[in-house]
Amino acid sequence: MGKPKVGIYGLTGCAGDQLAILNCEDELLDIAGALDIKSFPMAMSGGDENCPLDIVFVDGAVVQPKDEELLKRLRERATLLVAIGTCAVWGGLPAMKSEIAREELKRKVYGRAGKIFDTTAPQHLSRFVKVDLSISGCPIEKEQLLQSVASLLHGDLPRLPNYAVCTECKMAEYPCVLLEKGQLCLGPITVAGCKARCPSYGQPCIGCRGPVEEANVSSEVRVLKEKGFTWFDIQNRLRTFAAPADCFEDKIFKEGANA
Amino acid sequence: MKIVKLPKENLAKFVSSLSSFGQIHAPVKRGEKSLAFGPVSDFAQIQLNYTRTILPLKKYFFKPIDTMFNFSAEKGYELPMEEPEQRNVFFGVHPCDIHGLKILDLVFSGRYVDNYYFARRNNAAIIGLDCIPDEFCFCRSTGTDFVDSGFDLFLSDIDESYLVRVGTSLGDDMVKATESLFRDIEKQDREKYKGKSIEKRESFQIQIQLQDLPGIMDLEYDSPIWEELGQDCLSCGTCSMVCPTCYCYAVFDELDLDASSGRRMRRWDSCLFKDYALVAGGHNFRAERSSRVKNRFFHKQRGFVSQYGRPSCVGCGRCKAYCPAGIDIVEVINKLRSEIRV
Repeated sequence: MGKPKVGIYGLTGCAGDQLAILNCEDELLDIAGALDIKSFPMAMSGGDENCPLDIVFVDGAVVQPKDEELLKRLRERATLLVAIGTCAVWGGLPAMKSEIAREELKRKVYGRAGKIFDTTAPQHLSRFVKVDLSISGCPIEKEQLLQSVASLLHGDLPRLPNYAVCTECKMAEYPCVLLEKGQLCLGPITVAGCKARCPSYGQPCIGCRGPVEEANVSSEVRVLKEKGFTWFDIQNRLRTFAAPADCFEDKIFKEGANA
Repeated sequence: MKIVKLPKENLAKFVSSLSSFGQIHAPVKRGEKSLAFGPVSDFAQIQLNYTRTILPLKKYFFKPIDTMFNFSAEKGYELPMEEPEQRNVFFGVHPCDIHGLKILDLVFSGRYVDNYYFARRNNAAIIGLDCIPDEFCFCRSTGTDFVDSGFDLFLSDIDESYLVRVGTSLGDDMVKATESLFRDIEKQDREKYKGKSIEKRESFQIQIQLQDLPGIMDLEYDSPIWEELGQDCLSCGTCSMVCPTCYCYAVFDELDLDASSGRRMRRWDSCLFKDYALVAGGHNFRAERSSRVKNRFFHKQRGFVSQYGRPSCVGCGRCKAYCPAGIDIVEVINKLRSEIRV
């Protein structure tokens, strides 16, 4: 395969994951050399908005009807679609208050100005299209991005961690912020890849990378309640980055509220 | 075995002298309450009265993440840069952790010798130190509360002095290098040592019976306890990381952006991870969390006994002390045994 034709796009979000690509300063020339970047609206003008793509990287969540249109068009154009960042993979911050009706939120936040745009409950990309590879993180980790690009160039999918932050935390031998400091840590149910950055500074994991596969949310909630955290605080932390994830379905929240 | 006495006021001088044998590593503070083995330049850093470090010594020999070899289209396979041949001197290793190393030695020296492990392991000096059990320790029950081999020197507290057992010729060299610091053993030291031995034996807060446990586990293979544990377990991997005898690793490649060179890596794995038993075709023979928890207990306490004649658990208490969900191996074993006096 020659240089793959690549597009890098953003839906609704802070564009931090596209920025994380630009932040690969030492490797940027290698990336630009290895990929035929056809369009990257955030970083360059004059992109090709119609050509077929081998790989498209998409950050942000689907929050507006135009996001859904763009996403579906990108899916049609690309052989492989890669979701980058927790918004694209799990809904991210925009989805944290989806239990409140959209119109009510819009009125509260934007007042009369909210009339000029449409918005729907924020969702991650896989709710609309097939996603071939998910690189979560808020923002994504540079190492995972580079490993993913290298694997894709090799015609393969990367092997990203699908174990919990606790594993990386223990590998680095950081004191447990949950057991030793009694902090509200989501390390046991959050997917690794950050090398336990927050615990390395004595801070709890707030779940910014989204849930690990088969996250045992019920047990985590029980543990946190036993530590004396209120359901209000637990719920807020669980909902912050990945509220639409299946493991945070309503049942968990009903159980948690009643227990 | 040569046995001598080191007055406590000479300990700092002795430990400092060990730097001529290699880099000294000893238990030091990690955060507010935790401890970890780390390089030591000043005797005052060493926490002599520690109970357990977060990670056991395996982290030095069987590293959490390690490069197995480099590869490229041009050069083929190349071993990673060899580490400098400096000896590491581990001071203050407790009996359970020495037993842990002896078990890893056994496993990694099997049919396919793990040279990554032994390249570092063979360059390590072990200076053991006795300890007092806390509420998590059950090494008395696993038969690992004392050691008779696996150390170069072993220090036991006999109040004003340490009784020093010399286990190897390297240990003897260490004593001889600072001979003036040591004294001969006298009658009262012998009595003191034996008294301390009884004192330690009687200070355990936890006693469980591991004899005949493999049979009981087979009888309880379908016990509802596994399902209950599966509901509590977070699959976070903590117990495997902190276990002195968990030795599973996963192998993966890291590619460079040229997509034709890279590194073959290995990292610590855990049988509690969903993809641990995932095989080609998407089949997973331990897809349920309960079956994975069961597997971990079965391998430690039953499978290992069949293969090596003893359980691989050394009673260090780490899995219990660090499990976020509070899963307690002692409670599990007592439940399996239907112990009523707990």
